[in-house]
Amino acid sequence: MDFSLSDEERAIRDTVRSFVVKEVLPLEDTVLRRERAHEPGLHLEELRELQQKARKFGFWGLATPEEYGGMGLPAVVQSLIWTELGRTIVPFRFGGEADNILFYANDAQKEEFLLPTIEGTRISCFAITEPGAGSDAANITMSARQDGDDWILNGEKTFITNGNEADFAIVVAVTDRSLGARKGGATAFLVDRSMGWRSEFIQTMGEGGPASLIFEDVRVPSRNILGEVGKGFELGMQWIGKGRYTIPSHAIGIAERALEMALAHARSRETFGRAIGENQAIQWMIADSEVELEAARMLVLRAAWTVDSGRDPRHASSMAKLYGASMVNNVVDRVLQIHGGMGYTRELPIERWYRQVRLYRIFEGTDEMQRLIISRDLLRGYTMIGL
Amino acid sequence: MNIVVLVKQVPDSGAERSLRADDNTVDRGAASNVINEMDEYAIEEALKITEAHGGEVTVLTMGPAGASDSIRKALSMGPAKAVHIVDDALRGSCAVSTSKVIAAALGGLNADIILCGSESTDGRVQVLPHMLAERLGVAALTGARKLTVDGSTLTIERQTDEGYEVVTASTPAVVSVWDTINEPRYPSFKGIMAAKKKPVDTKSLADLGVDASEVGFAGATSTVLDHAQRPPRSAGQKVVDEGDGGVKLVEYLATEKFV
Repeated sequence: MDFSLSDEERAIRDTVRSFVVKEVLPLEDTVLRRERAHEPGLHLEELRELQQKARKFGFWGLATPEEYGGMGLPAVVQSLIWTELGRTIVPFRFGGEADNILFYANDAQKEEFLLPTIEGTRISCFAITEPGAGSDAANITMSARQDGDDWILNGEKTFITNGNEADFAIVVAVTDRSLGARKGGATAFLVDRSMGWRSEFIQTMGEGGPASLIFEDVRVPSRNILGEVGKGFELGMQWIGKGRYTIPSHAIGIAERALEMALAHARSRETFGRAIGENQAIQWMIADSEVELEAARMLVLRAAWTVDSGRDPRHASSMAKLYGASMVNNVVDRVLQIHGGMGYTRELPIERWYRQVRLYRIFEGTDEMQRLIISRDLLRGYTMIGL
Repeated sequence: MNIVVLVKQVPDSGAERSLRADDNTVDRGAASNVINEMDEYAIEEALKITEAHGGEVTVLTMGPAGASDSIRKALSMGPAKAVHIVDDALRGSCAVSTSKVIAAALGGLNADIILCGSESTDGRVQVLPHMLAERLGVAALTGARKLTVDGSTLTIERQTDEGYEVVTASTPAVVSVWDTINEPRYPSFKGIMAAKKKPVDTKSLADLGVDASEVGFAGATSTVLDHAQRPPRSAGQKVVDEGDGGVKLVEYLATEKFV
């Protein structure tokens, strides 16, 4: 068994690391200052500028296939990159990305939606969750009623990431109530904001926030159906599945950085005449954090490897998401404790992580949903223990 | 324009570095090793010149087998090929013997320009470029903050404490650069993927016709006899202001010869 990264994997990771250190980390103070003033930490133009800078040396579209100008990277490498990006509080991500399901668009839709999204001139959001349908996404009620060659959308979507900024939404709505969402009753639509939906900002305990999208008799032409009528639920599940290894990959980066801060603090902070790192209470917190971090790393990389090897990644990805999200919450909590009062202040990014990572146990499949997937697959014999 | 860039692998200057207790050499095993930062500027300058005037860039490294990591990194920035001088007998080499080995390796490379960083972050002796030029019998354009190529004429702005000097020479020449000369590029994604396929020619001392007794500990003209950790910072001196704080501060500055 070889746990080492290949030369290319290491070189890509190191390049991202030095880009983050040189170009992104210097913005951290500004981001913290702005967020303390309740402003967005990083302006869209600043993000775009960084993305274009990275594009010059080919870091553009991690998951985007090469024929669309992207890097088409294996999941393992994407995971390593997300980890590096987790090491900064600056909400930076590489450009050239589009929602994975947008690649199912037909040629005309690709021109109108996919290519501009990759290029960054259009912003998408994906909308399946509703006030009455979260983890039970099959219970969505937003209706799409056919009217000639158009569909009339009515209903509300909620907790939609990017919903405030998006100029189009990928919306999953019920097109045949008699079938149920899972069995061909739901369809995905590409809906321009100009067609009439509106968004409302939702305040959260984290920085920034998602949106509610309100649809009142929004008329969408048939040519804006993504994929086929009745295939919306499958597309939705595919969209959600992607986050199952990227989210914990990001969590690993956060935990690495936080733990490094804790080590530095434990070495330098003195109480009762000695460094606090000499106290067993602190040492145990450090040891537990490192063990969990390493365990999460193994689970996440294995999940990504499962994706790359063409196997069904669901079981491995669910374990990685469940454990990675829990790990980062534990580590950040301990790192805050090690920092004492300073950790609680907004002078340091720790309290920000504390608020941020709580979401990791909720979005794109709650802890409970991951447990459900893991256990049900075992119980029905789809997944075998030890394989 | 045929350019050879000298690339050295050094312990990361951003991390803890130490010397070995047994022989006072740099502890490469304990450190995270990277390309000497200044050499990245030399690589960038070489690439810029060949992009503008044509030609090829070759990386030349003397170092242990593990230095191949840094060679790959250098190649991922764009150079076409590399030469790696690796030989157990090289351990402990001083600057004088290092220049002998590198000069021997350069013999077969037919370089118009030999580019290098002005210093390495581990040794920091800053003499290698001069020694090399002397051994090769070519001009030494050292400490450049700017390099202009016009046919076979090279002109540099040599950075000094007071300003800069303009120095000109014909090729071939050794040019050493400071980190003010450019902004090194990031290895590109394509460059990273291509680096593995680029040729790296490994040379031993025997290949270069250098006798092992002339290099390493055996041939060293200077040897580090001993070393010690830098002492921890002592506590500062407190000045209590009893109306004469200003005077006391100035007195302190005067004693320390700051004013």
